[in-house]
Amino acid sequence: MGMDDYVLQMRNIRKTFGSLVANDDVNLNVKRGSVHAIIGENGAGKSTLMNILTDIHKADSGDIILNGEKVVFKNSLDAARKGIGMIYQEFMLYPELSVFDNIILGFEEKKLGVLIDKAASRKKIEKICKDYSFNIPLKSLVKDLPVAMLQQVEIVKVLYRGADIIIMDEPTSVLTPQGIEGLFRAMRNLVASGKSIIFITHKLKEVLEIADAITVMRNGKVVAETTASDVDEQSLASMMVGRDVILQANKKDVEFGESVLSVKNLTVKDKDGITRVKGVDFEVRRGEIVGIAGVAGSGQQWIVEALFGLRKPEMGSAIYFEGSDITTATPRARRCMGIGYIPQDRLGAGANAKSSIWESAIMGYHIAHGFKGKVLLNFKQIEAFTNSIVKNFAVKRQKNTDKVRSLSGGNIQKLVVGREFLQDNKLLIIEDPTRGIDIGAIEFIWQKIVDLAASGVSVLLISHELNEVMQLSDTIKVVYSGELYDGGSHGELNEEELGLIMLGGKADEK
Amino acid sequence: MKNKIFSFKVKKMSRSLSQNDRFMINLFKYGTSILLFLLSGSLLILMQGQNPLVAAQAIFKGAFGSKMAFGNTLRWTAPCIMTGAAAIVAFKAGVNNLGIAGQVTIGGFAAGIIGAFLNLPPVLHVLLIILVAGLFGIVWSIVPAVLRLFFNINEFITTLMLNYIADFLTQYLVQQILAGGLDSWGYVNMNATPTINESAVLPTLIPGTSATLAVPIAFFIAFAIAYLYKYTIQGYELKQVDENLKFAKAGGVRVVQRFIVIFLLSGLIAGMCGGIEVIGTYKKFNCNFAANMGWDGISIARIAELNPVGLVFVSFIWAALKAGAMQMERVIEVNRLTVQIVQYLFVLFVSIDYEGIYMRAKDRRMKKQYQKEHQKEAEERA
Repeated sequence: MGMDDYVLQMRNIRKTFGSLVANDDVNLNVKRGSVHAIIGENGAGKSTLMNILTDIHKADSGDIILNGEKVVFKNSLDAARKGIGMIYQEFMLYPELSVFDNIILGFEEKKLGVLIDKAASRKKIEKICKDYSFNIPLKSLVKDLPVAMLQQVEIVKVLYRGADIIIMDEPTSVLTPQGIEGLFRAMRNLVASGKSIIFITHKLKEVLEIADAITVMRNGKVVAETTASDVDEQSLASMMVGRDVILQANKKDVEFGESVLSVKNLTVKDKDGITRVKGVDFEVRRGEIVGIAGVAGSGQQWIVEALFGLRKPEMGSAIYFEGSDITTATPRARRCMGIGYIPQDRLGAGANAKSSIWESAIMGYHIAHGFKGKVLLNFKQIEAFTNSIVKNFAVKRQKNTDKVRSLSGGNIQKLVVGREFLQDNKLLIIEDPTRGIDIGAIEFIWQKIVDLAASGVSVLLISHELNEVMQLSDTIKVVYSGELYDGGSHGELNEEELGLIMLGGKADEK
Repeated sequence: MKNKIFSFKVKKMSRSLSQNDRFMINLFKYGTSILLFLLSGSLLILMQGQNPLVAAQAIFKGAFGSKMAFGNTLRWTAPCIMTGAAAIVAFKAGVNNLGIAGQVTIGGFAAGIIGAFLNLPPVLHVLLIILVAGLFGIVWSIVPAVLRLFFNINEFITTLMLNYIADFLTQYLVQQILAGGLDSWGYVNMNATPTINESAVLPTLIPGTSATLAVPIAFFIAFAIAYLYKYTIQGYELKQVDENLKFAKAGGVRVVQRFIVIFLLSGLIAGMCGGIEVIGTYKKFNCNFAANMGWDGISIARIAELNPVGLVFVSFIWAALKAGAMQMERVIEVNRLTVQIVQYLFVLFVSIDYEGIYMRAKDRRMKKQYQKEHQKEAEERA
């Protein structure tokens, strides 16, 4: 195999941050016209490697070889000019500008050196759209478009900037199953016309579906270079984690008890007066895991906020917990009654990045299950509780006084989950418990949820990850446009059927 | 609850920095600030035709040169700590209380009235005055708290405006009501309340100096705040409310109640400071006596990075400069406002984003080095 096959080679890349070796002699060989997946747990060094490629970080040593020639980028813009385009997980688009303006921003075609040549820019974009069969409304404002469309805008943007190699960081995490299909079609188109794609993801199923070559990273090193045809999900997961992983939740048979949470006609409006939750009814019994699936923004956020007292539901709504009406109770009161809450955004409502680990660890506990005294912090108790979270949930930390920010995402999540699980709660409202964390931690948290339910705690699981809801829930509900649809019981419907309901399939039948 | 643009909160380190970097940044920060401080001070003194070294000597002598001078420094340390404490309590919880001056004024006014028109046994009289002054400070901070909570009016504006109201209201009460209006020439009869009774005077700390019991009280307040934030549940919750409101809400903290407590506590300290100043130093309520005090507190809190221990040290230096400046004015022909100008310039200097500058410089250095190495490599190959 000659060197000419490779559009990009990264050789012996080494990067250290203090004593941490983020990339340890990493080699990456990307063939022209292929989808090259890089997989690995959080902190495996994928992001560092990509940051070196886009010149956000400088490598300590090692070479980047582009089209057979060694290159040194001056800065990120230089990397972009040399054909490396990055699509971040969070889109880099200005919501108030039109799609057209967003695409040309910073790379405008010019007349006389100063004037924007809109016609030429438009022509260029239209050609790209035609060549790679994208169909995007150039005149619309970005804020009016759905997420899947924004992703296409991002792709067109990097193509417009002359990208030859497109890096996609977790591109599917915001998409529905149908949206993912669309993205994959676009990726195949791009690759067929000679572009190369570096695809970074946690999701092994997708890797196997779309990738040609796979590089597996662990602890800053490349542990395997393989092709999709040579591996399966199980073996990939083992390579990533370094041991065998069970991707199935081991659900136990649980006899459900009486109703713990009962929601009647829950209606919630947002601050603009738009009805986000339209008269929802459901109940959670003792020991039961009820899962709510749905595309992001279908109303999950408002259901949860109303359930935990962070937002006032409309008149006529009723929420009962163990028979008592808690519709208007404060979060504090709810915590005292034994309701725990694991929020979606672990660095927003979940934990305080600026605080020390113990400060984030005792939040809520200090009210509902905590100290004997009302005035002074009991440092003995704090130490004991924090340590029990660290021990039971395998949080990797040095001292309890370290800042939460110094932990990795997975460890922060374990801290938040541990905090709520180790309190004496009767009901847990869990929102996206495994978002953006690695497979080892997912396995761990899933197991804890299943164990918790088996011990008689009721769980309401709200997740954007359909697979998670399907794996864990005894009863599945699907939220679409503020209304709740029945998704059957565990294993009753398959992924496609649920995906259809998530997109309003049942609403259409009405 | 935080106003993004006008937030006086000290920017916390946004990245996790190595210990070495943190040290270098602090060295860079205070080193540069002090250098600029001395430079601008010298320049201003030179412009007035005087020798900066002589001026510095005069300041030092005025602050520490004699028992009286030292007493003067201590005397100014007390209100600096108290107003600084009022500012720290508020800013630490994300409340922009810019109304410290107004709360001090109102507290001072209450003290002047009770001190002059009430006859009580000595100790009781003093205690009552401090208490009532604090209550008046609270009253003055309830207004913005209510406006904030029920009408969502930013306390940044309300507290600022209430400063003027306090100022003019007390002036009106003193000049028009107590002194019975203007005299026949149209002049103000009286610009202060009558002198307070003997029983209301705060005892001195060091005889023969102007340092009163205000000093230990101020130290106690600074200590109490440090204790509140370090060891109590309330303090823990307040810190979380400030650092991450969403987190605190989801954790079940009574955010609204905490918010009110902060407002009132800040007002209480400021009001007490006003009362103590009046019965300790002036023995009567002078209109406008608190004009600079509120801003001093805010500046000091800023320099001390909202740290109660830092507060004590910064207040001491601030007070020394204040006491020294008066002496300097007496000895050489330099206006004492010079010192004030330089003091406030110092606040500007320490507010510069040294961390950003440092990190950018470091980044540039590394990139340059990297490029140089590559060039060398390329040359060797060629």
